[in-house]
Amino acid sequence: MSDITELPFSFLRVPQMRLRTPNIPRPSPMVVFWLVFLSYFLVLSGIIYDMIVEPPSIGSTTDSNGNVRPVVFLQYRVNGQFIIEGLSAGAMFAMGGMGFIILDKSNSKSLSIKNRYFLIMSGVLCILIAYNLCLVFLRMKIPGYMVTSS
Amino acid sequence: GTLTWFNSLLGFHRVKMKTPTKELNQVKVPAKILVADVKDVLESGVSTEKQEYLLKLLILSLIYLLAFSTRLFSVLRYESVIHEFDPYFNYRSTKYLVNEGIYNFLNWFDQSAWYPLGRIVGGTIYPGLMATAAAVYWVLHAVNITVDIRNVCVLLAPWFASNTAMVTYLFAKEIKDESAGLIAAAFIAIVPGYISRSVAGSYDNEGIAIFALILTYYLWVKAVKTGSLFWSAACSLAYFYMVSAWGGYVFIINLIPLYVLVMLLTGRYSSRLYTAYCTLYVLGTLLAMQITFVGFQPVQSSEHMAAFGTFGILQLFGAFNWVRSHMTPENFSRFFKTTLLAILAIAFAGFAIGVATGYISPWTGRFYSLFDPTWAKENIPIIASVSEHQPTTWASFFFDLHILTFLFPAGMYFCFSKLTDANIFLIIYGITAVYFAGVMVRLMLVLAPVACVLGAYAVSCTLQTYAKHLKKPNPVVVSASTSKRNITVAQALPVQRELGAIMLSGIAIMLVLYSFHCTWVTSEAYSSPSIVLAARQHDGSRLIFDDFREAYRWLGQNTPDDARIMSWWDYGYQISAMGNRTVLVDNNTWNNSHIAQVGKAMASPEDKAYEIMRALDVDYVLVIFGGLTGYASDDINKFLWMVRIAGSTDPNIIESNYYTPRGEFRIDKEGAPAMLNCLMYKLCYYRFSEVYTEQGRAPGYDRVRNAEIGNKGFKLEYLEEAFTSQHWLVRVYKVKTPDNRGGIVNL
Repeated sequence: MSDITELPFSFLRVPQMRLRTPNIPRPSPMVVFWLVFLSYFLVLSGIIYDMIVEPPSIGSTTDSNGNVRPVVFLQYRVNGQFIIEGLSAGAMFAMGGMGFIILDKSNSKSLSIKNRYFLIMSGVLCILIAYNLCLVFLRMKIPGYMVTSS
Repeated sequence: GTLTWFNSLLGFHRVKMKTPTKELNQVKVPAKILVADVKDVLESGVSTEKQEYLLKLLILSLIYLLAFSTRLFSVLRYESVIHEFDPYFNYRSTKYLVNEGIYNFLNWFDQSAWYPLGRIVGGTIYPGLMATAAAVYWVLHAVNITVDIRNVCVLLAPWFASNTAMVTYLFAKEIKDESAGLIAAAFIAIVPGYISRSVAGSYDNEGIAIFALILTYYLWVKAVKTGSLFWSAACSLAYFYMVSAWGGYVFIINLIPLYVLVMLLTGRYSSRLYTAYCTLYVLGTLLAMQITFVGFQPVQSSEHMAAFGTFGILQLFGAFNWVRSHMTPENFSRFFKTTLLAILAIAFAGFAIGVATGYISPWTGRFYSLFDPTWAKENIPIIASVSEHQPTTWASFFFDLHILTFLFPAGMYFCFSKLTDANIFLIIYGITAVYFAGVMVRLMLVLAPVACVLGAYAVSCTLQTYAKHLKKPNPVVVSASTSKRNITVAQALPVQRELGAIMLSGIAIMLVLYSFHCTWVTSEAYSSPSIVLAARQHDGSRLIFDDFREAYRWLGQNTPDDARIMSWWDYGYQISAMGNRTVLVDNNTWNNSHIAQVGKAMASPEDKAYEIMRALDVDYVLVIFGGLTGYASDDINKFLWMVRIAGSTDPNIIESNYYTPRGEFRIDKEGAPAMLNCLMYKLCYYRFSEVYTEQGRAPGYDRVRNAEIGNKGFKLEYLEEAFTSQHWLVRVYKVKTPDNRGGIVNL
């Protein structure tokens, strides 16, 4: 029976190919984590806002002498930003997260005491700098931040 | 080939049951011992478990009270009044439900909205919010606590926020442990991203939807961890409540299948996952279809197809797993290849037929714009015009989350370093929530709970590490040379206890700063009723603008009962609820071309607009004008959206006609003639040239656009002024009726 069904195709020569589905190795959890961290940095920099609204990468004002001076932070509005401003704030968020990660890594085994001190110091420093810079940025945007008006 | 890949996934089939560890803080103490506990505490030392239980109870009660009280700023400053626009429709529907009963409510056809089309309210709302408020109202009245329905509506969201804090405690407890649960509950009680939509007076779907969301996710994690039918069924009931509450239930029914797929890909398939998802999908879909507004969408629309596809894949997975255990490997490989190909072919053919015949409807615009954010800007101006639908900037993230923006990646790190079934769910929820919050500001609401839980995870891990430092005594100083013994723990630092104390106090300070920020943001930014405006005068005293309610009351008292009011769609719900009059378009925005008609009328010159208004049977026109007070969200600032929406259906309305030749939008002498003569301009600036608004400026100076108006002293031919509120915020005009011989007469 199978000879009859194969007859129309007998003039074809089947090529000798060995196809197999590519074996993509599963990435380790930490690799996936760093990818997620990178995308978190991008999203929190407001990259989607940049792609849709297309603000300038840095603002400019002309002062009294007619010089054009750059303005990094778009003032008085929380729902608007420039591209560089967003990226620098995103870097601060990432640095703060890194601070906590460094603090956890400082407790790992096989670290000498000097290295442990170093990691703890740098972790705390990352967190402090990131938080305070974020506050500075926010005060530049909204001058009335944390000033109770009533 | 494919078979080895498949085998590798199943090879990690392990049954993971969480064995409850007999830790002291998980022992449950009956409540009747509580009274004896208090006496015990007072008299002698009390056992650690009872101490911990009391402490936990105290903390949770404080969090409950805190979540409620921090949302009461506007009630204390102004009065107990409903805010914004959408809540007014919800309030009106709840009043109808309470007065008319359930069956009349479900069959309600509203003739006073979208004249002359009407609106089938029973079939086009999510009734969960109204049902919840009505249930609270009836329960209170049954025990003779007669609270007015308005107060029930105003205070429902803060009460549900307290409940959300409790459910978040349970959720985080399920994922990590009780200490993380307590921190998560404290975070979510005051996080500004959630407060903005659940403050007292904000009577909107999100107020109860977030409670239902976290409840569903908590029950889902519990179902996956235990694999019991009971928890899965409870999860489907919570999902039903979510479907009845908010259109964002689509997030749940796509996140959970995504989680199942990721579990399959990471080789964590188990019978518990199978039981949980199959129960949830079947029961949940059946229950979801009970809501009239949802109807047959769970089996028809593309937004639900992912759940259906995952259901099929899970069945295939389970079936192949079972067959494999009964066959020899070579037989199984042949069987696997042929059957898989056949089933995939049939499924693909079925899906293609469904899409081609239109049975499977494509993604609706609202949800499609989440994946392609640029699509709405070009295609549907209404979606693009809502300010809540704009993408998010960094400042919005920091404003709404504060330190959670730092703790979120830290929490992710801790989750990734110790992957469990529950952790993976949290990770996926976090990633998708961050992306969607980045696309649309309004969805920051969905990010806030997961940011709180992940932040609590990070804080809890950090605190546990450094609290351990506090308990161990300082070690003797070890010599610098490292010995060759096995190092099982990190080498202890000589200043261990001091370090622990410093870190603990540092984290405590950070949390205190978080609560300062949250309270400031709640008080200053998110507690304005928006129906009542306030401004500060030069001497510091507060000036209240109550023009909106004044105008709506005037409408209700001084116009005929069947008068039709034309205004921009923003104000439709408020006019219906407070003015009790028929409106042409309202915030439901379900009919784009009807709104475009209104936009065309506003953008045309007075004679053309009069024809449109006569065709639509309009009696009164209402506009919002901020030029006298400096109120920036008035109709002139929204005017370009009216032009765009009108232009999307009528190609004669061209947006560039309303700009100056240089491309600016101006209302002074340089303004475009089309702009200076359109109906909106005339209605806003009628008699405005007689008014002095600012010292040192000519009369007719618009304080929002900062310019003197260009077209002054004109007269209205087809309308006449009926009412202008005290600060000129709301202006109402009556449309004159034609007389028998074609002229205009005032009736």
